[in-house]
Amino acid sequence: MITVISKRTFQRNRGRNLVAVLAIVLTTLMFTTLFVLSESMNQNMIEMTFRQTGYDAQVSFKSITEEQAAKLATHPDVAEVGNSIVVGLAQDRLVAGRQVEIRWADESYAKHSFALPVTGRMPETEDEIALDTMVLDRLGISHELGMQVTLQWMADFRSKEMRTSTFTLCGFWEANENSYASMAWVSREFADRTVDSIGGADVETGMGAHMAQVSLCQDKDIDNSMERILSDLGMSGLEYGVNLAYSPEMNRMAAQEKLPMYLGMILVFAAGYLIIYNIFQISVTADIQFYGRLKTLGTTKKQLKKLIYMQAGRLCLVGIPIGLVLGYVLGAVLVPVLITFQAGSVSASPVIFIGSALFAGLTVLVSCMRPARIAGKVSPMEALRYHEASQIGRSRKKRQGSASLMALAWSNLGRNRKRTVTVICSLTLGLTLMSCFYAKNASFDMEKYLEGLTIADYQIDEITSEDYMTGYDPQGNTLEGELLGLVESMEGLEQVGHLYSHETQIALSEQTIENIEQFYTDDILASWASYDPTGVETLRDAIGEKQARSVVYGIDGIPLDVYSGEAYWENGSFDEALFATGEYVLAIGPGMEPGIQEQNMPTVSVGDKVDIEGRQYTVMAVLNNLQPVTEGAYEGGVQNAFYLDFVMPAKTFKENWADNTLRKLYFNVDDDGIDEAQNELDDYFRHTGLTLPVTSRKSMAAQYDKETRSAAVMGNAVSIVIALVGVLNFVNSMVTAIVSRQKEFAMIQSVGMTKTQLCKLLVYEGLDYAGLTLIVTYAFSAVAVGVGVRAMVEGGYTTFHFTLLPLLLCTPLLLAFAVVIPYLCFKNLEKDSLVERLRTTG
Amino acid sequence: MASINLPEQQKKGESDMDAIVKVTNLKKYYGNGEALVKALDGVDLEIERGKFTAIVGTSGSGKSTLLNMLGGLDVPSEGSVRIGNQELARLTAEQATIFRRKQIGFIFQNYNLVPVLTVWENIIFPISLDARKPDRKFIMEIVNLLGLESKLDSFPNQLSGGQQQRVAIARALATKPSIILADEPTGNLDSRTSDGVISLLRVTSEQFHQTIVMITHNPEIAAHADRVVHIEDGRIVADAS
Repeated sequence: MITVISKRTFQRNRGRNLVAVLAIVLTTLMFTTLFVLSESMNQNMIEMTFRQTGYDAQVSFKSITEEQAAKLATHPDVAEVGNSIVVGLAQDRLVAGRQVEIRWADESYAKHSFALPVTGRMPETEDEIALDTMVLDRLGISHELGMQVTLQWMADFRSKEMRTSTFTLCGFWEANENSYASMAWVSREFADRTVDSIGGADVETGMGAHMAQVSLCQDKDIDNSMERILSDLGMSGLEYGVNLAYSPEMNRMAAQEKLPMYLGMILVFAAGYLIIYNIFQISVTADIQFYGRLKTLGTTKKQLKKLIYMQAGRLCLVGIPIGLVLGYVLGAVLVPVLITFQAGSVSASPVIFIGSALFAGLTVLVSCMRPARIAGKVSPMEALRYHEASQIGRSRKKRQGSASLMALAWSNLGRNRKRTVTVICSLTLGLTLMSCFYAKNASFDMEKYLEGLTIADYQIDEITSEDYMTGYDPQGNTLEGELLGLVESMEGLEQVGHLYSHETQIALSEQTIENIEQFYTDDILASWASYDPTGVETLRDAIGEKQARSVVYGIDGIPLDVYSGEAYWENGSFDEALFATGEYVLAIGPGMEPGIQEQNMPTVSVGDKVDIEGRQYTVMAVLNNLQPVTEGAYEGGVQNAFYLDFVMPAKTFKENWADNTLRKLYFNVDDDGIDEAQNELDDYFRHTGLTLPVTSRKSMAAQYDKETRSAAVMGNAVSIVIALVGVLNFVNSMVTAIVSRQKEFAMIQSVGMTKTQLCKLLVYEGLDYAGLTLIVTYAFSAVAVGVGVRAMVEGGYTTFHFTLLPLLLCTPLLLAFAVVIPYLCFKNLEKDSLVERLRTTG
Repeated sequence: MASINLPEQQKKGESDMDAIVKVTNLKKYYGNGEALVKALDGVDLEIERGKFTAIVGTSGSGKSTLLNMLGGLDVPSEGSVRIGNQELARLTAEQATIFRRKQIGFIFQNYNLVPVLTVWENIIFPISLDARKPDRKFIMEIVNLLGLESKLDSFPNQLSGGQQQRVAIARALATKPSIILADEPTGNLDSRTSDGVISLLRVTSEQFHQTIVMITHNPEIAAHADRVVHIEDGRIVADAS
């Protein structure tokens, strides 16, 4: 019978059901979207880490014999073994900056290295090669099988002998852009012949070494399983590496990435609870007489609760599936926008659907708990004469004089304090969050952010400037002649700047060593050693030998102007005229917070002399480490010594090292010329077939937007949804407040209130509601933005502005609702005649 | 026929004249201090099995409060109410609800029908709340007596006031309660319909040997009863058979 009542009551409450289903759909939708995002994020992060490490097998062997590899494959816990031999690195200027490894590999190895040819096949004969699209593009070869590929390469790193070989392209695939290296597959014959020609494998560089990737049958506890496998096969002691992507670190990182999702879920739960609770609360309050009647007839508390839960269940049955579908669609649309990895695939894991449905169901259940308790607890006595006013009870002030409409409206608001508070809380929460997100985003200062990354509209580097494998070539000639002419003749060119560099050895004075030892305290060294133990070693060696390496930069134009800014000085001060004499150098200190530092920086003291290749210079100032100047590879590739760097005027630099060519070119163009400059550069690169690293302010800004888009969209979406829930709550509660009082209105109309007056009364009530909400929201938002957001954005690339723009935009909207909804409800109310309404008994 | 309708105690061979309801020194006070309202102020009352008793009094006399106490809807400030062998004050709220739907039939002034249920469903509602199977034959007998055969599939809002009250009477009888409490059952009806309903109440009580306690402010209606108890200011002022 409870089922029958539940079913029929359900059919009667069309309006409430619609709102409730909408709320459930919205809640489920948000849960599903969050689940889709977090699952896809997880899946893509794993994929991304695989791509970054270059392979997706669990274990790799850098050096193993072919027989050992074959033996490994026989173990029951080993799923697959892939083999490869590295024979050389491509040395073409055109592929500089990317490591192109010439290797033989079997299909398994290629597949697990994301490098199995998609078009064509692996090489079979000695003159065949398979390459990825990135290398083909760099070499300017079209993506077609059978093309001729000529490569300059090196196999023997002891004799540094250059070799040139011509191959036929037999296969290619989409490059793995997340890895620093590309694979160039050659045949086994070619590999074996090359290894013979260098006299066997070279242990130091790994050239000619037989490598293997091992896929295990399961992912857990890889180290132990591998030890067991090796001891089973009698090969204990063989060195192997575990794929970083499988390390527990990664799991922790993935969990961290998911944190905002969990936060979002809590918010969704809160928002969902607020609205669904409110709907049921209102519905139960309105029907309380009905429940009281059921109770007098002998319906128990349990049965009444069941009645509420059954209705909620029915609503879920409709709302949750719709929410799941819509949420999945929304998630699928958002994933490519938010996940900027190369492989942005949408997860369809059942966790998404089961999890979202469970969470949504739980939200509804929790939301119904209190209303169900209220319905269950209804006293039959009270229910028989129940009306809302009985809730006032305390502190009712005597109203003086006439009951004006305004005063009446205001006191009506106080009749159901709980509802009023719920609605105001829900709206305030949403609007305050929205204001905070907006203020936080608005406080981001792109100029400040870009300053640390780029100092000019455009910066072009010599192609080897960032070649961390083979090192910077100070005589590189890619940044010369035609390109310089092109830049200098650009329309709207405002300023240029040049940077040269030279690497040398300097002696360390006693004072310098003291500076270094004072700066690098044991604490600093310990934390440095924790991530870079060799770096600390090089420092100790330098102090021991009283020698350090040094990169000397020659600069003019834009970088010099930047350095004249006081914020970049760490010790001493910069005098441009004095500097131009060529008798002075600037020392580069460690990257510190901007501003003059109290202590001496770990370099040559200001005023002391430094001897650079036989010439004496006085150190004028110690400068902050400015990335756009100092970033780049050392001449030997990786850093393996302690460096103290200096800056001198470009003119002095050219006198000393006339052969060194330009390393970096900076230039500013006026706003109109920005896009045109990019076009001209693109044209140049197209017709020369040479691509130099270009850093532009605009592309950096775009890059930043891309990287932070996910957070921005999430933040805004969550706050908008919460604000939406608040508004829905507001509307819903206003509608029910009016509809449930039909009889009361009929009564006051029958004693003489005119239609206009009643309509006015309702509108006043709405306005009071909106006004109260707005006052509370403005107060909360002002505090949250002024104190919370201000503290949050302190430091970093931000300039705080106090803004409540989203609130200002919402204000007229809320006020409009406050007027329109009562008006519409009133129109609806008017349809029934006064007598009819009076007669309807609750 | 009669045997199925008689309360259980009777079947055990107890006297026909014992009291089904026993009220002792019943008091109900509302508020406190100056605002203290003595709704009931020491009522002693025994109601015999199978009798039709009317409780009369002006509005505010405490007659409704007394009825609510008898039905276990309200809790006394002092004194006791015993229905059959059950002392009502000993029951928890939940037990009281279950006791009510098994032992007491209610007839309200505003009928208190469940609008979403049909007439038939309304009549068997208290029975089905107990997860019992309705005694179809017995209920059809009541339905026939009350002339509701053709209305069984209608909803309450499709019926006239008199018809609705007849449904409420049927519902009250259907559970074979120990006692039926009727609170101004004709308060919302015109005098002709009122007479009809009261006669039906009278007839059914005789037919099914049902104990009925009815409150009313109307002396004409009260005249139909076997016994009239007059209550004023929370005390019994007259008791006439």
